[in-house]
Amino acid sequence: MSKKYLFLMRSQPSNRQQPSPAQMQDMYAAFNAWKEKFKEDILDMGGKLMPGGKLVTTSGATDGPFVEAKEIVGGYMFVSADSVERAIEVAREMPMLMPGSVIEIREVAGP
Amino acid sequence: MTRTTSEGGSSAVAAPTLDEHFFRREYGRVVAVLTRTVGVRHVDVVEDAVQTAMLAALTSWTAQGVPVDPGAWLYRVAYNNFVDDQRRKSGRQRILATAIDLATPASHDLPGSRFSSEVADDTLRMLFICCDDAIPPESQLVFALKTLCGFSVSEIALRLFTSDANVYKRFARARDRLREIDPELETPPLDTLRSRLPAVQAVLYQLFNEGYLSSHAEEAIRRELCDEAVRLATLLAEHPIGAVPETFALLALMYLHGARLGARRDATGGLLLLEEQDRGLWDRDRIRVGAAWLERSATGDVFSRFHAEAGIAAEHCFAPSFKETRWPEIASLYAMLEHIDPSPLHTMNRAVAIAESQGPAAGLAVLQALAPPAWLAGSYLWDAVMGDLHRRAGHAAIAQRHAERALASAPTEAVRDLLRRRLTSAA
Repeated sequence: MSKKYLFLMRSQPSNRQQPSPAQMQDMYAAFNAWKEKFKEDILDMGGKLMPGGKLVTTSGATDGPFVEAKEIVGGYMFVSADSVERAIEVAREMPMLMPGSVIEIREVAGP
Repeated sequence: MTRTTSEGGSSAVAAPTLDEHFFRREYGRVVAVLTRTVGVRHVDVVEDAVQTAMLAALTSWTAQGVPVDPGAWLYRVAYNNFVDDQRRKSGRQRILATAIDLATPASHDLPGSRFSSEVADDTLRMLFICCDDAIPPESQLVFALKTLCGFSVSEIALRLFTSDANVYKRFARARDRLREIDPELETPPLDTLRSRLPAVQAVLYQLFNEGYLSSHAEEAIRRELCDEAVRLATLLAEHPIGAVPETFALLALMYLHGARLGARRDATGGLLLLEEQDRGLWDRDRIRVGAAWLERSATGDVFSRFHAEAGIAAEHCFAPSFKETRWPEIASLYAMLEHIDPSPLHTMNRAVAIAESQGPAAGLAVLQALAPPAWLAGSYLWDAVMGDLHRRAGHAAIAQRHAERALASAPTEAVRDLLRRRLTSAA
């Protein structure tokens, strides 16, 4: 039975040069090709997370230590796979996986 | 599974295919429209806002599909980015007062059809604004490549054979000048800029030549610049402000030269002489379009340098072979070009055409009457032509001297190969 995995995309805030429009066109094509290849595996494309946010504790809500965090969670996605190995394969081929970024894979506990 | 709708509304469609240069072209369009809305002094912020909108599109469109009107989507997101940025800044410095009504971002939510009809106008306005007398032509070119063609600084540097720093310097010069413009005048009606038409034509001509004359090894890269020039020149020719015979002639020459671009190199990338080119590879469709523009350019009594150059290109395109080329026509077109735009380069080209129709001695006579300036006399072109004509006239020793000098000063290995073939074959 296939399991459900949460992908958390983490990246380091960097001053890396922004891609040019032509490079974005290539990224767009690569991402769509990846999505097509793993369409059976991808449950929910999820989305990008806005920067910042709040941390809520019993003592209240704060803006959180996000700024200090080395790796910022920038997006998430749900993938279905028979094994964690397969989930790793899906993640490794993801074009958005660039030097300096990390995908954290967590299995969602069954019912 | 439910998904929240994208920022682009609920009308997302599944088809993820976009035109080959979609991002680059759309970048130019959205920058032009947004710049018109908020003023050219904000062009830096506008470019950042559009860049950020495109990155957002990358995530959103791959996940949720491309919206029905991607251009309007990008415009809306870029506009909101711009407003957010200005709001953040206005906390510290209240500079916004007049130009932008921050309260109504949603009113700029342009419907698709209106968006596309305004784009040509805004793109041309941007082009006319950057063709300011106070901005050097090489800066105008870089500014157009960056803001209207969507090339990055490094991509421009690669195409113009220069450094990133140099491209940035040229860009900054244009940008700084545009910032000085009185805010009241910064988005003038296109009509008031009409006197800049020759400068606009000149920058498009330069853009085309950067691609056409480039020694860049990759045809795709050369072609891209030519295509950008054709795209912008077409906008110009189809707009009342630019629909004049000179623009038509400019487009004609772009198509007629562009038709032969793919045949100028052999399979290994080596340059081919005109007489070696496979005329079957010339692009008949482009020649047809070029001829149509040339015909349109023949209205009125203007005969510009673009007319002469397009006429020369047409002679080559319609000649069944090198031998059957109408060299006397070409020689007289070069003579007209010399008259309109005196340059020893045109004279040299006329000499070559004369040599083809009347023999090498007649060509040499023209060259010998010409006192070439140092920049020409020292160039490989001059020595190549002299070497070739002397060789054909039977002056082996002189020919040899010129051939050696031409080979020594050839700019690239491809040019050297071509010269070797031309200058050392039997007379």
